[in-house]
Amino acid sequence: MNQIIEISIPQLLLALLFILVAQITSLVQRLGLNKDITIGTIRTVSQLFLMGYALTFIFGAQNLWLTLGIFVVMVFSAVFIIRGRVKEKQISYEVPTFMTMLSSYFLTALFVSWLVIGVHPWWEPRYFIPTAGMVIGNSMSALAISIERLFSQMRQQRDVVEMKLCLGANYREASSEIFKGALKAGMIPSINAMMGVGLVFIPGMMSGQILAGTDPLIAIRYQIVVMFMLVGSTAISSIIVMRIIRRRCFGASEELLVTPE
Amino acid sequence: MHPLLEIRDLSFGYDKGSSPVFEHLDLDVRQGECIVVKGASGSGKSTLLRLICRLNIPRSGAILFKGTSVAEIPPPELRSKISYVQQIPQMIDGSIRDNLLLPFTFAQGAHKTAPDDATLERMLDAFYLHEVSLDQSALKLSVGQKQRLSIMRTILTGPDMLLLDEPTSALDADSAAMVFSIIERLNTEEGKTLFIVTHSDYQPAVSQVRSCTFRNGKLECA
Repeated sequence: MNQIIEISIPQLLLALLFILVAQITSLVQRLGLNKDITIGTIRTVSQLFLMGYALTFIFGAQNLWLTLGIFVVMVFSAVFIIRGRVKEKQISYEVPTFMTMLSSYFLTALFVSWLVIGVHPWWEPRYFIPTAGMVIGNSMSALAISIERLFSQMRQQRDVVEMKLCLGANYREASSEIFKGALKAGMIPSINAMMGVGLVFIPGMMSGQILAGTDPLIAIRYQIVVMFMLVGSTAISSIIVMRIIRRRCFGASEELLVTPE
Repeated sequence: MHPLLEIRDLSFGYDKGSSPVFEHLDLDVRQGECIVVKGASGSGKSTLLRLICRLNIPRSGAILFKGTSVAEIPPPELRSKISYVQQIPQMIDGSIRDNLLLPFTFAQGAHKTAPDDATLERMLDAFYLHEVSLDQSALKLSVGQKQRLSIMRTILTGPDMLLLDEPTSALDADSAAMVFSIIERLNTEEGKTLFIVTHSDYQPAVSQVRSCTFRNGKLECA
């Protein structure tokens, strides 16, 4: 097995040449992205260094409550990011989203690290945190797409939803097409990722393991588990969150509460 | 005997603290009556219809249907007994048949027998839609045709009362005349209780008609 080749600081700085290329492209094409590229670069370096030190500390501490605390912070941050993308002012959805993400991702991460990988203790941070991170990151994007789509379609098709209500539909029947469309829109990227994996791209986790010297045949097994886990956790969390949010779009008399902005 | 619909001390405003659209509104509607409500834009005419079928919720007061508060009737049941026909007719992406049978796909209408093609075709004729076929796309119809189809679809569910929100506002004179004729027949021949909101000068040629006007947040009936 190959030894890991450590990247020195001067070598790391060499990688900045890629950023330089991006900056020059933005300047030449007048894309106006130079500020964003600079901020992105600084954030990437500082956030990852911070994460590196934090993970080193957490892995060393081997503390259950610290591990779970990090998990809660990760979910909280994900909800915060979803909130930034969805920008819904009328219907509150943050608390049920947080609670659902917390419980469903916890069960997924627990299932994978304890039963599939077989780590003891089940909360071993070296396994639990990266697993949770992948689940949260992937499902966060799916949820943001689904929730945003649900609200925008409820607004756009408000008259059609009310037409169905007036013909005797309950709120689920009146919004079933919108609900299905929003759910599918969120889940399709995870399903597409299963189609392209190994052919079009090598996933980040597997690349990382291979670069770190792991046998590719071991790395693919981890990747298969991760791909299945991502599709499953996205489906579970999306269905639960979306059902709760859809109910909140209607009042006690099943009247549509989402009004044009 | 209870009136079919009783409106008691009804007030409505959009937001808490905002001035009310109307206040302390009272009205009794008897079986077979045709109520025509007029008033300026924004006076609350359409809102009143939406409150009756609980698409909006009143700030205070009560609406009783056959002596029972509409708030206590399960919404799908309420809305199939008191059917609201929207100002702009809405169709699903499908054939005319798909649209007409839509209410029978919902749990509320599932136990009812869906009409067969021969019945639907007879009804299309009665609604001045002889030129269309059941397999035709509903989205391609004119607004006037959609409005007549929309009223027909509502009638198929067998409501006791129809709430018609500006049914001819988007129509040309010929289409409007057809809709008025249908409305009058529904009342005189089928005994349907009608609640029509309009800002035209339309006066239905039916015997049990009553005109009401919204003025300064109050409903004045003749």
